[in-house]
Amino acid sequence: MPSREMIGRVLSTGSATVSAEHIAEFARALGDPNPLYLDTEAARRGPYGTIVAPPTYPIAFMTQAMAGGMDTFLELGLDFMTLVHGEQEFEYARPVRAGETLTLVGRIADVYEKTGSSGTLDFVVLETEARDAEGTVFLSRNTLISRRR
Amino acid sequence: MAALAAAAVAVGLEFPPLVKGPITPEELKAYAAASGDPNPMHTDDEFARNAGYPGVFAHGMLSMGWLGQFLVQAAGVGSIRRFRARFVKLTWPGEVISCRGRVTHVTDEGGERLVECEVWSENQEGERKVTGNALLVLPRR
Repeated sequence: MPSREMIGRVLSTGSATVSAEHIAEFARALGDPNPLYLDTEAARRGPYGTIVAPPTYPIAFMTQAMAGGMDTFLELGLDFMTLVHGEQEFEYARPVRAGETLTLVGRIADVYEKTGSSGTLDFVVLETEARDAEGTVFLSRNTLISRRR
Repeated sequence: MAALAAAAVAVGLEFPPLVKGPITPEELKAYAAASGDPNPMHTDDEFARNAGYPGVFAHGMLSMGWLGQFLVQAAGVGSIRRFRARFVKLTWPGEVISCRGRVTHVTDEGGERLVECEVWSENQEGERKVTGNALLVLPRR
């Protein structure tokens, strides 16, 4: 069962370099034609001087930021058959830029439960933080919900 | 980019809707690959049926991505300071999804206008799938 003592536990740290090609693949998968995501020339003339990423692009870092967390996930004891992505939150200092290298930290930001007429639901909030030399670039919080057996 | 003029923003202002779909299974495969989400629930019909669903369904983050496109279309790249979504109902292949939203609160802070908005996606019957909110920051000029 998820325990509040697990709040703050770091699952992994690492870094990732952002490529213009991957940003373009992500934007195309959304069907988003914004030239600041896709067109090097347009992006050079734009407000950031380079290709930038769509607002939900930080989700693509999640797998890496949570890698190494498998033991913790088992310890959380979530029922994978009922696990759903219930909520998502992002905070941004600025858009992610092509070519930059970000430091990533994955951690458990919160653990709580809610009990209603249909039983108890466990909530686990996984947080990915990306930093550059100046500080936090984005925070991504992924709320997973599972029904307690 | 169609940047929103801070002076034109008022509570109740609705942003121009963004319409997506009909959603195809190929689109879900492309999003799975681009986002690095390995969950077969979105790409393998048999897997989804074995789990008790009628078939594959869209990633919540695909719908949130469309809401992100909708917000950027309205306010410009780099305008979003905070963005939240709740995945209320599943979104299915074949559905046509409209992204909608409106301004709920406006405050000025220094040279910036802070714009709170509610956003949601709904299908062709008006059933809400994803609901959320965002904080946009616009220069006051």
